[in-house]
Amino acid sequence: MRQILASLWFALHSAGQNFRRNLGVSLAGVFTMGLIIFLVGGSLLFTHSVDTVLQGQEQNASHLKIYLSDNASLASITNFESRLKHDPRVISVTFETKDQAKQQASQNQSISNALAVLGSNPLPASLNLNVRKLTDLSQFNAEAKATPIVDSTTPTDYNSDVISKLNTVITVIQWVGAIIAVILLTISIVIIMNTIRTAVYSRRTEIEIMKLVGATDWFVRWPFILEGMLGGLLAAIFSGAVVFGAYRLFVQAAQGNLLSVPFDTRYTITLLIVLLVGGVAVGAFGSFLGVRRFLSA
Amino acid sequence: MSVAVAERSAAPPQHALRPVISFHGVSKVYPNGTEALRDVDLAIHQGDFCFLVGPSGAGKSTLVRLLIRDEAPSTGRIFIDGQEVSRMSHRKLPKLRRKFGIVFQDYKLLTRRTVAQNVAFALQVTRPGQRHMREKVEEVLWIVGLEDKLDKFPDELSGGEQQRVAIARALVHRPRIFLADEPTGNLDPDTSWGIVQLLLQINHRGTTVMMATHNREVVDLVRRRVIAIDNGRVVRDEAEGSYLREGTATL
Ligand SMILES: Nc1ncnc2c1ncn2[C@@H]1O[C@H](COP(=O)(O)OP(=O)(O)O)[C@@H](O)[C@H]1O
Ligand SMILES: [Mg+2]
Repeated sequence: MRQILASLWFALHSAGQNFRRNLGVSLAGVFTMGLIIFLVGGSLLFTHSVDTVLQGQEQNASHLKIYLSDNASLASITNFESRLKHDPRVISVTFETKDQAKQQASQNQSISNALAVLGSNPLPASLNLNVRKLTDLSQFNAEAKATPIVDSTTPTDYNSDVISKLNTVITVIQWVGAIIAVILLTISIVIIMNTIRTAVYSRRTEIEIMKLVGATDWFVRWPFILEGMLGGLLAAIFSGAVVFGAYRLFVQAAQGNLLSVPFDTRYTITLLIVLLVGGVAVGAFGSFLGVRRFLSA
Repeated sequence: MSVAVAERSAAPPQHALRPVISFHGVSKVYPNGTEALRDVDLAIHQGDFCFLVGPSGAGKSTLVRLLIRDEAPSTGRIFIDGQEVSRMSHRKLPKLRRKFGIVFQDYKLLTRRTVAQNVAFALQVTRPGQRHMREKVEEVLWIVGLEDKLDKFPDELSGGEQQRVAIARALVHRPRIFLADEPTGNLDPDTSWGIVQLLLQINHRGTTVMMATHNREVVDLVRRRVIAIDNGRVVRDEAEGSYLREGTATL
């Protein structure tokens, strides 16, 4: 116990000394780390907000009309409808008869005239599907095509082109986000590594003596790891506060203008915790790499 | 120069069956191709005092570095206390190094710490939280004759005093083997003599001492075991030798 406390005290004391002795480099490191954490946190919150708004929009967009063949029996239609209703991916299904379709279409004057000329009703009855996720539409489209009571010439109003393009855009945005996050993470680690290298360099005699008198590698390493963790923590606290403030301003500003973005408290708290833990972890890992080369002698 | 040779141990050292240090066919080739040691065989017993002599670049420091496993030999085997160190895993090095006390030509003192803090440092980083640290520090500083300089900083001391602080730091965890690599390289003859007396005194207390040096006067005055190295080879190993081969001008 006494030994652990003494080691901890030694490590903390040395970490503090390192930080102060190389104040310029330490502060620059903390500042840059803070900036990166701010970027990561800010973009995560921004994406989340956009996501929330988009999800609302997506539900409106996630409609599919399944056209039914004219000779489908009412029983088979009811059967198909109830099967869709029980699917967890589906929000609602409504049945639209040929007459309702005609009425709907007749709101357009020229179509109304054309229908009057024809006499008979060429418009098919349909099941109007509202699903939770845009990406599920293609599956429902495929399912509809395989169902016998569905009109075989025009099974649905599914516009695969538009939807697949939308999907591509979403995927690309996600990938770009992930790549940027990885790049930023790597940069943070390199920054911490170099900050710690400076600290290691200014303590090279001390480390040399420690190794000569038989201190363990971990004893040599801990002060630097703590220093890195300390830097990561400071950076995360400051940038977390800035991200939090900026998010509140953004929500307030958005409220008056274009869209109302909800202030997501749970997401924000989770994010702040993730930023703190991430900052400390990146600090520790960067320091570990920073001292590694020096110790492997 | 004072010729008051330090008192010798009354009886010759009782050689245990097993030497405390042994080299078997040890060679060291540095990555750049320099052959620093070639086929070295050595046996040093507990309580021995020996000089390692030879010109600059002969391989003395390399031999010291191999002992504490700062470097690994290219071929051959090295045993300390019956334990093979030439193939020792990295994890076991701290324990090995605690068997040694070591000082160098540059004293490697921490300038921001006082004399007492410099010595205490060796204990803090190997046995954190140890009790009676202050007493142990004061005891070794008394042995090296610096009991009145505890709170001085290294740059307030003379070179000889700084080397004594380094010796105290190397002694504080009671090593079995004391290594000194050119400890008098930066000191004037009188001061050097004082340091050598101190090493003899440490040896007198039972510690094995090896001193690498090219200080001819000191070696010739003390007349103890001399291991001469030239160009990486052990060229002479005498129980009571001088710096140069008797009656010649060569090692
Ligand atoms: N780290 C090293 N890398 C390459 N060559 C070295 C290294 N250290 C020492 N040498 C070379 O090995 C030889 C022996 O050096 P050293 O053991 O330091 O001799 P001494 O201590 O007797 O002066 C010299 O030629 C020296 O240049
Ligand atoms: Mg040397």
